[in-house]
Amino acid sequence: MARLADIDGNPVAERYELTACLQCGRCTGGCPVGLRSPLNSRRLLYEAVVREDGDALVARDEVWDCTACRTCSDRCPRELDPAAVIREIRTLKIEGGRIPTTAMDALESTLKHGNPWGRSRRRRTQWAEGLPVPSVEDGQESDRLWFVGCTPAYDPRCQAMARALARLFHAAGYAYTTLGTEEVCCGSEVLRLGELGLFEELLETNREALQGLEIREVVTTSPHCLTAFRTDYGLEIPVRHASQAVADLLDAGRLPLVRQAPLRVAFHDPCYLGRQSGVYDAPRRVLAAVPGVELVEFDRCRERSLCCEGGGGRMWLEGLGEGERNAQRRVRDAADLGVDAVVTACPFCLLTLEDARKTTGLEDTLEIVDLAELAARALDDPADGPGEEERS
Amino acid sequence: MSVWTVVEHRAGAMRDVTADLLARAGGLDAGPVTAVVLAGPGEADGLVSGLPPGAHRVAVAEHPDLAGFNGAAWAAVLAALARREVPAVILGAHSAAGADWAPALAALLDAPVVTDAVDLAWEDGALTAQRSVYGGKLHARVRLAPASTTVATVRPGGADAPLPAGTAAVDRVEVQVPSGLGKRFVEWVQEAAGSVDIAQADVLVSVGRGIGDAESVEVAEALAEALGATVSCSRPVVDLGWLPKERQVGVSGKTVKPKVYLALGISGAFQHVTAMKDAGCIIAVNKDPKAPIFRTAHYGIVGDLFKVVPALIKAVREARGTA
Amino acid sequence: MNLAVFVKQVPDTAEADLVVAADGRSVRTGDAPLQLNEWDRFALEEAVLWKERTGGALTAFLVGPEEHEDALRRCLAVGADRAVRVWDPALPGQGPCAVARVLRAAVGDEPYDLFLCGAQAADDGFGLVGPLLAGELGIPSATLVNRLELQDGRVRCTRELEAGWGEVVDLDLPALVTIQTGINEPRYVSILGIRKARKKPIDLLGLGDVGLDDRRVGEAGSRLRVEAFAPPPAGREAEFLEGPPDAVARQVVDLLREKGGVL
Repeated sequence: MARLADIDGNPVAERYELTACLQCGRCTGGCPVGLRSPLNSRRLLYEAVVREDGDALVARDEVWDCTACRTCSDRCPRELDPAAVIREIRTLKIEGGRIPTTAMDALESTLKHGNPWGRSRRRRTQWAEGLPVPSVEDGQESDRLWFVGCTPAYDPRCQAMARALARLFHAAGYAYTTLGTEEVCCGSEVLRLGELGLFEELLETNREALQGLEIREVVTTSPHCLTAFRTDYGLEIPVRHASQAVADLLDAGRLPLVRQAPLRVAFHDPCYLGRQSGVYDAPRRVLAAVPGVELVEFDRCRERSLCCEGGGGRMWLEGLGEGERNAQRRVRDAADLGVDAVVTACPFCLLTLEDARKTTGLEDTLEIVDLAELAARALDDPADGPGEEERS
Repeated sequence: MSVWTVVEHRAGAMRDVTADLLARAGGLDAGPVTAVVLAGPGEADGLVSGLPPGAHRVAVAEHPDLAGFNGAAWAAVLAALARREVPAVILGAHSAAGADWAPALAALLDAPVVTDAVDLAWEDGALTAQRSVYGGKLHARVRLAPASTTVATVRPGGADAPLPAGTAAVDRVEVQVPSGLGKRFVEWVQEAAGSVDIAQADVLVSVGRGIGDAESVEVAEALAEALGATVSCSRPVVDLGWLPKERQVGVSGKTVKPKVYLALGISGAFQHVTAMKDAGCIIAVNKDPKAPIFRTAHYGIVGDLFKVVPALIKAVREARGTA
Repeated sequence: MNLAVFVKQVPDTAEADLVVAADGRSVRTGDAPLQLNEWDRFALEEAVLWKERTGGALTAFLVGPEEHEDALRRCLAVGADRAVRVWDPALPGQGPCAVARVLRAAVGDEPYDLFLCGAQAADDGFGLVGPLLAGELGIPSATLVNRLELQDGRVRCTRELEAGWGEVVDLDLPALVTIQTGINEPRYVSILGIRKARKKPIDLLGLGDVGLDDRRVGEAGSRLRVEAFAPPPAGREAEFLEGPPDAVARQVVDLLREKGGVL
């Protein structure tokens, strides 16, 4: 549950009980950016205890390298929360006005346009052109809401995820509605960037929308939206990820995946779906149901999955400079495994892995595909009509 | 009734926009054209002899306080002269200099003023102007109230061919520059030349704000490398610190005339376009089909540059046999 | 040091469809969100920086309706001590000269040392209000300033000229400068910051409060009137290349060969 920090109040150490820190270093040991970034949670917690004023902490720019994967907090033997401390420092920086320009643009865009991509609200439903996607704006009500998300709605590569999901839902006769152009950002990355005020506004807007429409269940395309609704908003209604919805439809025999889609794949567990939301099996059940798909597990799978560095606002922050990015490591591992494709179930993972595939020269030998995209290939009528993404 | 053209010059050299101004002044049909030259002592002769055609008369005013450039001094001198001669229209360029002296002059004369006019017309004793607004997405026609003198600055470029030269009478006028202007010219400064001169390149791969962030500039650099081209950019990219100023194509940067200009994620604001519009072949990529750049480009691609550019890099490498 | 900054709230038209009203005299900006004029952001940041350096006070002024107050809240959130909004039913449709008159009246007799505003507005791009206001105030001004140095009783400004040139001028204080983009890095203004700023009042002034006659402002007091808006003339329409990225890329390669002598 998100906590509004009292910026003028208690020092960070007291607020997070950091005097309990053992300095064991398990947090830093598991940090996915630890090797390439000066970010060091162990040292940060020490600094926060020893120097109680915010000045030294606020000067630490390495906090922008954090992907908010929460490995550090998960591993802490004292159940402390280094991830929250890092976010707190980000908040202090934001209140001081000092934030990288790209993140500033994303935040200002979210305030102005309801999405971090600088696109107008009017265009939020363009991805659905030609598809039967119900929307409250067309008077189509349901007590189940499919929260599409900013990135699947606006990013050209990720729109294919949304389109595939729409086709799967349609084939299964799945009842739902969407918010159409009224949908605004869930605020997951806004919160993790530390902009608490903006997050609160988004939370209010979304809560009101859900209440007003009497929604009893939410399904999200992105694990980040999933985390926002489930954890950050603390919603009382069930919130599920698309992979869970599709897996359930398959189990109920409502989704006929009949065409062969032969592919040897590895599944990349997204941090926000796996470790943070505990969803590991649903995507695998879906993969098992696609005819012709053979799953080869990464060594680092499930809880040990390698963070792609797309979370924590990193999509709008500059990289860590020299050295192999995690996403690059991941696609090389996939190549070593001898798979044709890496399947994932998160728009940020999709984008970072696609990037990595190009920068490692694996474009012609490895495909990155979203779970829904892959499943949709097995639908009886996979022809998407206008807008089908070519695989490149 | 007469039209004045305030001659633009800097550090002893005439600026090209003066030819534009003279052509427009003649085209207004609001009376004979006087070219006004304000300069420091001894500077005027070179300027007068290099004056483009179009003026019927040249008024020259030299004064120590007119050396260098001082918008307040220019405005004061022009105001004093204008009160004597009462020209119907005083024309200047919408330039850094014009932005400084024209409003100040209008304030002193209590004259109606319009700036950055794309087109001007003189009708029934009043000036109407066409202006480009909302970042170039619309034009607005504005009308100024009739007055004995109106001040206007025009956007450089786009004038018809200048009128044929006649011999213009040269008048040397005595002027005072009031003390107590509160503004003094100190010096000119020039940016140090960087290591790259984009004006020399045959092919430019130019990025705008649409490139998104400093890291993504790499994509443009990769294309430039594949093509053997040079990377340049528009102003916002420099303001944001993603590329150094020496790479900037624009009014406040460099003017370029490459054989090929690839505009990636550049909206096409006037200050940029005016500095590259004479390129041999302009190809623009932008996700907004209404982006003004498509009115300058020869070829347009509406799309996501992060899809188009990688495809282009691939195609170029294949064409080169280096795929 | 007593500082004043003048700001304007304008529509963000980057993605918007602009619709000209039937009578051609006004523009509907549709769902385009409002934002602080880009040049004014830099001016505001510069004003706050100088306030911080000299330990002075900063007042922000805006001429506009209530919907534009966010610009002033931003100023207060960033460090302005006072915010003043001037509005009156007589004001809509006024030209730059009238705006300058209104601002001059709003400034009143308060002794400011330095006045700052953006070099131009993103919507109409006149670049007039600043220097005309300086004229009304009877103080020296410099436009397109990309560097400011406050020295004893004067300010040394570098004005941005064309082609990488700069012009250095000295202005005696009090003076007015119009600020060019890129002079500084405007800080982020958080929502919490803006919320806290909501507790600070915004002074609202009408024409009567500033002692202005409505014949000198509004459309009646303006000598510049917009007669019509229209789409820009066609100019050269680019030939659009169609198809998926790979096909388009091949067409571009052909063009590069043909027109560029490259490849």
